[in-house]
Amino acid sequence: MSPSFVIASREFAAPYRTASGWLIAALFLLLTGAVFTANTLVPGEPASLRYFFGPAAWLLVVIAPAISMRSFAEETRTGTIEPLLTGPASDIEVVLGKHLGNVAFLVSLFVPSLVFPLLLAWASDASLDLGPIFSGYLGLALVGSTYLALGLVVSSVTDSQTLAFLAAFLLVTAFLIVTGPMSERLPSWLGTLAAKVSVQPRIADFAKGVLDFGAVITLAVIQAGLLALGWAALDARRWR
Amino acid sequence: MIHAHHLSKSFGPVRAVRDLSLMIDRPGVTGLLGPNGAGKSTTIRMLTGYIAPDTGSTTIDGIDLADRPTEARSRIGYAPETAPLYPELTPVQYLQHRAKLFRLGRKERDTAIGREIERCVLTDVARRRIGALSKGYRQRVALAAALIHDPPIVILDEPASGLDPAQIIELRKAIVTLGQMKAVVLSSHVLAEVERTCDRVVVVAGGRVLADGAIDELARGEPARLVAEFAPPNGADPMLARHHAAELLARVPGLASRRLLDAGNPWVRLEAPHDPSVAEALAKVLVASGWRIRELRPERPSLEARFVELVESAAAEGSA
Repeated sequence: MSPSFVIASREFAAPYRTASGWLIAALFLLLTGAVFTANTLVPGEPASLRYFFGPAAWLLVVIAPAISMRSFAEETRTGTIEPLLTGPASDIEVVLGKHLGNVAFLVSLFVPSLVFPLLLAWASDASLDLGPIFSGYLGLALVGSTYLALGLVVSSVTDSQTLAFLAAFLLVTAFLIVTGPMSERLPSWLGTLAAKVSVQPRIADFAKGVLDFGAVITLAVIQAGLLALGWAALDARRWR
Repeated sequence: MIHAHHLSKSFGPVRAVRDLSLMIDRPGVTGLLGPNGAGKSTTIRMLTGYIAPDTGSTTIDGIDLADRPTEARSRIGYAPETAPLYPELTPVQYLQHRAKLFRLGRKERDTAIGREIERCVLTDVARRRIGALSKGYRQRVALAAALIHDPPIVILDEPASGLDPAQIIELRKAIVTLGQMKAVVLSSHVLAEVERTCDRVVVVAGGRVLADGAIDELARGEPARLVAEFAPPNGADPMLARHHAAELLARVPGLASRRLLDAGNPWVRLEAPHDPSVAEALAKVLVASGWRIRELRPERPSLEARFVELVESAAAEGSA
């Protein structure tokens, strides 16, 4: 098995071995449940999760930093980073493994929420269109993993989980503000670029069942850039 | 096995390691001995690839650590000082994790885990959470993890730190046994630990190698001393013992360089460079004058004496 997958599997399982992982999972289910009840189970409205994914994506602004904050900050604080970085995995494998593990944990949080489409199907007369549900979850996973990559970078430069959480949360919020409401006030070329990478319109498209490959590639490129930054931060550690 | 050439590392204005070279070509236990802050941990971190040197290079089994880091690191088993482990895992789970990282197959993995659990005496706690284990057991888990892929080189940073005496004795035995098959490098600031486990000692202070050799060789670097304790004849004034001794010793040829100390009234202690003919002459003079002798022997220098001398002279050079 590749070292990245070994690291990813530990990273995925670690939160579930402690109360914090179950707490995050419970919190996410509770909040998405509230969103589902308020926005989706509306009598007379079509049986769709379109209005579920948008608010659910907002929850990721908090949930993703809460997942990524421990990635490197906790390893640095406890010293486990030393056996990790002197083992047989290269720095890029370590970064990829950490990120994959975080993404797997995030996706696992979505699993209990699959009960929502089932409930919707049960409560509504019309049959469910599975396409938008699939693309909506894909959108959530893509946006969430981008936030996670940003959190990973922050976590790689501090040994404080609290700081890693706050910095990632603020950076994601700033990203959403700059690429959202503020994009119209930016110079036109920058505003166009900001609008291109804006997350909320993408999520709305995904929730409608529009699989925008341009958006998928944009988010993938942002993630790759962030992971490269994380890799550089890890390498810089050796030269301090 | 390990060839480190002219390693240097600074942290801001602090020069932690200066032009340090280390060659280990065969199995055995090499101790990096030095006081706290000598640069031992920095050296070990450079040898394991955790930090990069500012200058210099390291090859592990002929593989350059900077050029092919993962390949070089795969040949090293490393246990850092504080035994950092994942507390939520059991020792078996942690060893599985490390074995998988080193790409050991299922069968190989099971064999390796069984071997290390037995070697590091972890059977009783193998399925308990690491977070609930004592410091001693955590050190053993860290050692087991360092050995899980059966590396030819094992590097241990202050392995006995935080262990109780019984655990230290067990650990020493394990290290000596390992040294018969592998190149073991351990860092320590505890002389007794190095003396009892290492074939070779590298004394480090101020980030530099002050001495490097077999323990006996190093100790031999210090000349032997003549130590004698004697007292004036019964009836003589004990308060004047040192004064009378000085007069007496003036009659012994070859005792120009000497130290006279009080050894508890009326006894006087003499320390001088050892020379058998001087010892004989001293004994004759003392006996002829009716002095009582309770000790007269050449003193073999200890590693401790050599270590203290080296570190003190390095400190004096540093402050000069």
